[in-house]
Amino acid sequence: MGWKDVHRWLGLTAGTLAVVLGLGGAILAFDPVQQSWQATAAPSDLSAATLVERVTRSIPAAQEIRRLPSGAIVVFSFVGDQAQATYVDPADGRVLGPWQPSALPRWVKNLHRSLLLGDAGRWGAAGIALGVGLLSVSGLVLLLRRMGGWRRLAARVRGSLAQRVHVVVGRVVLAVLTLTSLTALTMSASTLGLVALDAGAEPEVLSVATGQAALPVAQLAMLQSLPVQDVRRLNFPADADPEDTWKVITVQGEGWIDRYAGRTLAWRDSTPAQRIYDWALVLHTGEGAWPWAVVLGLVGACVLVFWLSGVVMWWQARQQAPHITGNSPLAQADVLIFVASEGGSTWGFAQTLQDALRQGGHRVHTAALENFETTATTRQVFVLAATYGDGQAPAHASHALAHIAKLSPGAVPVTVLGFGDRQFPAFCAFAVALEQTLRAQGWPTLLPLERIHQQSSQQFARWGQTLAQALGEPLVLDHVPRVPLTTALTLVSRQDFAGPRESNLQAPQAPQAPPAAAILRFSWPAQGPGARLRGLGLARFAAGDLVGIVAPGSAVPRYYSLASGWEDGFLEICARQMPGGLCSTHLLGLQPGDRIAAFIRANPGFALPRTRRPVVLVGAGTGVAPLAGFIRRNDRHIPMHLYFGGRDPARDFYFGPEIQRWIGEGRLETVHTAFSRVPDGGGYVQDALRNDAARLRGLVAQGAILRVCGSRAMAHGVTEALDALLAPLHLTVQQLKAKERYAEDIF
Amino acid sequence: MHNPLMTTLAAASALAMSTLPSLAHSRQLTLTAQLKNYGGDGAYLAAYLTDAKGAYVRTLWVAGGKAKYHTHLSDWKRLSSGDTKRLDGVSGASVGAGRALKVTAELADALIDAGYEIRIDAAAEDMRDSPSEIRVPLSAANAGKPQAGKQFIQSLTFQLQ
Repeated sequence: MGWKDVHRWLGLTAGTLAVVLGLGGAILAFDPVQQSWQATAAPSDLSAATLVERVTRSIPAAQEIRRLPSGAIVVFSFVGDQAQATYVDPADGRVLGPWQPSALPRWVKNLHRSLLLGDAGRWGAAGIALGVGLLSVSGLVLLLRRMGGWRRLAARVRGSLAQRVHVVVGRVVLAVLTLTSLTALTMSASTLGLVALDAGAEPEVLSVATGQAALPVAQLAMLQSLPVQDVRRLNFPADADPEDTWKVITVQGEGWIDRYAGRTLAWRDSTPAQRIYDWALVLHTGEGAWPWAVVLGLVGACVLVFWLSGVVMWWQARQQAPHITGNSPLAQADVLIFVASEGGSTWGFAQTLQDALRQGGHRVHTAALENFETTATTRQVFVLAATYGDGQAPAHASHALAHIAKLSPGAVPVTVLGFGDRQFPAFCAFAVALEQTLRAQGWPTLLPLERIHQQSSQQFARWGQTLAQALGEPLVLDHVPRVPLTTALTLVSRQDFAGPRESNLQAPQAPQAPPAAAILRFSWPAQGPGARLRGLGLARFAAGDLVGIVAPGSAVPRYYSLASGWEDGFLEICARQMPGGLCSTHLLGLQPGDRIAAFIRANPGFALPRTRRPVVLVGAGTGVAPLAGFIRRNDRHIPMHLYFGGRDPARDFYFGPEIQRWIGEGRLETVHTAFSRVPDGGGYVQDALRNDAARLRGLVAQGAILRVCGSRAMAHGVTEALDALLAPLHLTVQQLKAKERYAEDIF
Repeated sequence: MHNPLMTTLAAASALAMSTLPSLAHSRQLTLTAQLKNYGGDGAYLAAYLTDAKGAYVRTLWVAGGKAKYHTHLSDWKRLSSGDTKRLDGVSGASVGAGRALKVTAELADALIDAGYEIRIDAAAEDMRDSPSEIRVPLSAANAGKPQAGKQFIQSLTFQLQ
């Protein structure tokens, strides 16, 4: 069981009960705040002796003085046989009013510490506190894993609203929650009798009657030197008992004073256990520290937020769990497919492969990779493995590699197919590791490792053709990815671009000629908070993320880089007409008011981190779109430098006027352009980089972050140019990628 | 000050062991403490016996099982500190506000009308401690007469059989 399972199941069980404790705690936190509001605190130089003098003047029958954690002074006395408790102003001993232990009903506290179930409930509450502690620890591990380590803890959080709420709240309150759990356990340990707080039997002391009257309190040395700040409780000697003593309990310990001679009869320091308990009490309740009580109250209320968002996340994960149809039992199957998937999409590919093999008469069994094994009937094994983050195994398959390494190799071929994203330096790293392990173990293979980029159905189909040849049987892998729920976006406006000149050389452009490209701006429908919490509706997005668009008559989404973020209030893309392209034709045919079906896909590797370092943006053609989005949101005026490559400034200088405006507004520091189809245009964008080599080297030396967007050929050219010009710095693009300073968005 | 244990032993040898009901010359004491509706959590009560000099003799009953809170029954805790077996067989749950505590104990005949006192310390969370909440002389004349405590006890009655 991994951290994720521990966190999930503890959250659903102990976490549910922790909501009750958290809300109870949030209510209880009002008490210290309200009490410190009311308290008339003693001046810091006031001695206990003076306080007692003042108190006895206004309340002659006083028997006990308590200094509350809020600093307020309460005096207990008897009027006749009626017990009295009153607040007293320490400045003059004046009676301020009757004392009430708490403004809250008792049951709130009892609910919080024992769920109203007495001693059994106290054990239960302690168990919940332990559960919260374990949830905090596992939560921290998962948080660090998700964010990519301590250094990136403050980075932007991605995902559905529930995930973002869970992570953002967790980042803030995790430490306090851990502390609250520890202090709760400390308090439980003493209440449940596991730890003794006191130092054993009290000393046997009594005042020795000398025939004289009792000493006036002003002459009691211990009380003279004792600041009121340190007093917890002070008991007067009883009138009826001539041998009774003064007793004082302070922060440091407790002491007994002879009422006649005034000398200290005994002193006992607080035990270390008592001091720890005192600290735990303050840290857990906020007593006497109202700002901390406010923090604790808010954290208590956050438990509900945690639980709600956690339950929604769990439910979402369940919805996305794989459902494989037509699975044969393992013992009867001749083909086994093992899957390692993080988001669940790899299961879809497995289903396609399974369906195709079943059509060919095979009996196929598909299972998760951690269940890897072969049987006597097995003839072929396929491993479809995705990679999580920067080269790790998907969570469920984290031990699969070690498991496979322990098996003795069989004679059955095992073929690995990797799924990943070329943007990450460790492209399909987990699949590569699997391949290496299997080969090192001595398993044969039918086909060498193939790595599928960004869930490409086309690449998968090509691998299917190779597989069909190797198996010597017909096999077609026609994978239709399961499209996420789409949202209807409405076109608000469009800005058309005529396209490259040479296409019109033979026939001058007709006025109605269709545009070759357009910047399209969409709006999205209003979404209620309930739908957003469940991850329905359009997900939040930032410039650089992708929007998947499903054209009518097509089941395969096409992805476009976003030129705007959620905060901009519109969704903008730059689309170019692809020859015969179903989706681009659909997009460029849209009129304002028309709708498209779309969904957001996060592109976390490409997003700009929160930084003050300079940013170098390199884009060609419509690849400038996400870069324009970065510049548009550069409200903090980070030095950004844009290198733009096009064909003809009159035709495809996308965002040209905006770029000029952004320079004026200080959002963009410099722009360098290169146009390949005009005389003296400067060539390609990599030429613009070479021409500016000295300054680029300076920027990279300053720690600049680089983002490149465009075609594969362009990205290759940019890498070559940069590797050459960075050589004097002993840096390569590969190194910058590894440090997450360099990312590409390639189409 | 007397050593409480010595006192107990003295009482036992002179007056027959008070804890053994089978012995002759012993009587059964029934103690009923009715609590007020003081509006708080369950009260901790310690009922115990002191002799004519105010020295501790034995614990009759302690209501409330958490040792952490016994320090609030301060007179009992101080007086009984030498009695390591003070809780043996004579402790139970705390008593809710408005409820009654009923305790029985075997007492040697000779303790009655001999200056002994029944004392009860009381405390409840977040309220003021009430050591010696009530002190009632253990006399035949007092039996059956309800007496009020200072803070928590509405009435304390004892019966002798």
